[in-house]
Amino acid sequence: MSRTGIILLVEDNPDDVELTLRAFDKSKLANEIVVVHDGEEALDYLFATGAHAGRDAGAAPEVVLLDIKLPKIDGLAVLRRIRADARTRRLPVVVLTSSNEEQDIVSSYDLGANSFVRKPVDFTQFVEAARHLGLYWLVLNESPPLP
Amino acid sequence: MSRSVLIVDDSLTVRMDLAEAFEAAGFQALRCGSAAEARAALAGGTVGAAVLDVLLPDGDGVALLAEIRNAPWGGSLPVLVLSTEAEVKDRARGLHAGADEYVGKPYDTGYVVSKVRELLRVREGNPDAGSRTVLIIDDSETYRAALGGAFERAGYGVLLASTGEEGLRVAADRRPAVLIVDGMMPGIDGATVIRRVRLDAALRGVPCLLFTASEDGGAELRALDAGADAFVRKEEDVEVILAKVAALLRRPGAAPAPVTASLAGPRKILAVDDSQTYLQELSEALRDEGYDVVQARSGEEALELLALQSVDCILLDLVMPGLGGQETCRRIKAAPVVRDIPLVLLTAREDRAAMIEGFGAGADDYISKSSELDVLRARVRAQLRRKQFEDENRRIREDLLRSELEASEARGARQVAEARAALADELERKNRELEAFSYSVSHDLRAPLRSIDGFGRALVEDCADRLDERGRHHLDRIRAATQRMGELIDDLLALSRVSRSELRREPVKLSDVARSVMEELRRKEPERSATVELQDGLLVEADLRLVRILLENLLGNAWKFTAKKASPRIELGARVEFPGEPHFFVRDNGAGFDMAYAGKLFSPFQRLHSDKEFPGTGIGLATVQRIVDRHGGRVWAEGAVGRGAAIFFTLPSARSGGRS
Repeated sequence: MSRTGIILLVEDNPDDVELTLRAFDKSKLANEIVVVHDGEEALDYLFATGAHAGRDAGAAPEVVLLDIKLPKIDGLAVLRRIRADARTRRLPVVVLTSSNEEQDIVSSYDLGANSFVRKPVDFTQFVEAARHLGLYWLVLNESPPLP
Repeated sequence: MSRSVLIVDDSLTVRMDLAEAFEAAGFQALRCGSAAEARAALAGGTVGAAVLDVLLPDGDGVALLAEIRNAPWGGSLPVLVLSTEAEVKDRARGLHAGADEYVGKPYDTGYVVSKVRELLRVREGNPDAGSRTVLIIDDSETYRAALGGAFERAGYGVLLASTGEEGLRVAADRRPAVLIVDGMMPGIDGATVIRRVRLDAALRGVPCLLFTASEDGGAELRALDAGADAFVRKEEDVEVILAKVAALLRRPGAAPAPVTASLAGPRKILAVDDSQTYLQELSEALRDEGYDVVQARSGEEALELLALQSVDCILLDLVMPGLGGQETCRRIKAAPVVRDIPLVLLTAREDRAAMIEGFGAGADDYISKSSELDVLRARVRAQLRRKQFEDENRRIREDLLRSELEASEARGARQVAEARAALADELERKNRELEAFSYSVSHDLRAPLRSIDGFGRALVEDCADRLDERGRHHLDRIRAATQRMGELIDDLLALSRVSRSELRREPVKLSDVARSVMEELRRKEPERSATVELQDGLLVEADLRLVRILLENLLGNAWKFTAKKASPRIELGARVEFPGEPHFFVRDNGAGFDMAYAGKLFSPFQRLHSDKEFPGTGIGLATVQRIVDRHGGRVWAEGAVGRGAAIFFTLPSARSGGRS
């Protein structure tokens, strides 16, 4: 595995995808952002299967931004699979959600999320959050050693 | 079961006589000559029943009885008082002190032992029931011993009796599993014994085996006629008898002993006559049959006694001074508890009119004093038997009724439980639906808002050059509305969460929670100052999380509505109410409200101020109301425009009637 600087964004809402990309752009993050639209595709990408069969499975993203409500396989199930696989066990995962339902927060941390971020309605706050996310996970955080 | 019987009597003869009788009946006898000795024996804790004399050298038996009844262990100890003082007033004293039975001297040892055993049986159940006990009734001591030995070797418990009368008493007393009786005996013969057993509701289920030495071919027929279950000849091998008994015991339905008192068991008869001579004669004749006889000299005395102690049969003289026999009879038959006791009128007159009058007053039988005593005894036996059958029938009817009642109660309980389970399921389903609904509201309703706000902002940033002041204003309004919609959704969700989360009560320091909430408010607006007074030591038994939300709303409101005051004041305190829960309150000197609208304050989305004056969603007090409701408390408001508001609430603990 090698470091790629890639951010994997798992998000089914096209508006949220566009706004998130815009927010990262505004906060001057130059990292490549790969967008997948459901839980199944996220797993395919991570484990280089299905539509992403040709991908180099060793090239893991730097961080995964994972929406909780997703079509097919939901965010928490994706997180469970990530934590269960030796190749992705230590991958930083930030759970994104619209709600601040206590149950979502508790389940996310129980399943091994590294962080939990609520998507604010206010776009300004959203840009702030994205900036912090990028700063923390891509600059400050010491990545886990490669397996 | 404790088989120790305490015998307290100052007479050595009585002590020895009773001790011998009790020991022969399988009890352990503890002999005491004085109250002091009795106290020491009772302190040992092994006494299962007591027989007390009234006159003791160092005290009074009745006083000792009162002591026993007052002791923590003494309430249920069977106590029989035995006394020469057998006048009604003496009986009254003994029975009032809590005697289970009062027997006058001269006494019949058989009666005393049987009565004690019956009292023990009532308390502890029949110790012999269901056991393999065989009663052998035979006048030949040799044969009795030989047969008894054979049964003992075969593992049976063995009871022996030498006459038919004794045999019946032992049977009533010990309830053997099977009865073996000799056909030929002096006194009542074997067939008569079996016939009496068959007539006794308590004993009639006991299998009877009749044996005889006679070569008479009709003996077997007579035995079976009398109701014997099996017949054997004496010269037959003991093994044959053992096999027959084993076969009888295998018969289904022979085992459980009925709860009814046996006819041959200890019976008490009240004899009422103004003639001491006749009373004496009558008592002796009845005592010979094993009955305990209580004497009364007048109708008044008889009524007084019946108010204290029940008896099994009443013999009542028709002609007496004072309250006559007829009137006494009428009064007995009118009293609810004693009217079922068989009552036989006695008279010297062979008078048809008197007889009819007697029956009219409710007597069960009528007998002339000139009749033979044998006839009198037979009549008494017949009355006792009739009463026993009535009791037995009543018991069976009551048992039937009770089991029917129990069955219908069980049916009812089952239906209630089923209905309740169905309701609980329905509620559970509704709650799940509501939860799913709130969840999707929180996720799905917010997403479009984010898009509206985000793209509005993008429009301002990317196309600023193509928008004039007016266009930018419109966009600002759109974004402000989006913000407000977001807040409304958040508050609504908070309100629904307050309603559906589980209530977990614990001791909560209200003052500490308030302090932490105030710190938070100050941290958000460090530039503001206010006088805050939080009463110390306020304690409730409530859900900590909900209490925090409650105070966040109340103190948050007070903080908000005092923002425009020159010297804001916020106070948390409690008014102690007797009786009742303390009334907590949060008071401020802020904008206040018009009391005319006080009722509207706690409904969702109701606001008494414009958003421009004081921003808000109108959900805060609705949430407060919901939280107080869930704790089973009350909430209300007092205020005046421009002079501040006070919100009062109670949070009853679960014990004091709060719902959970």
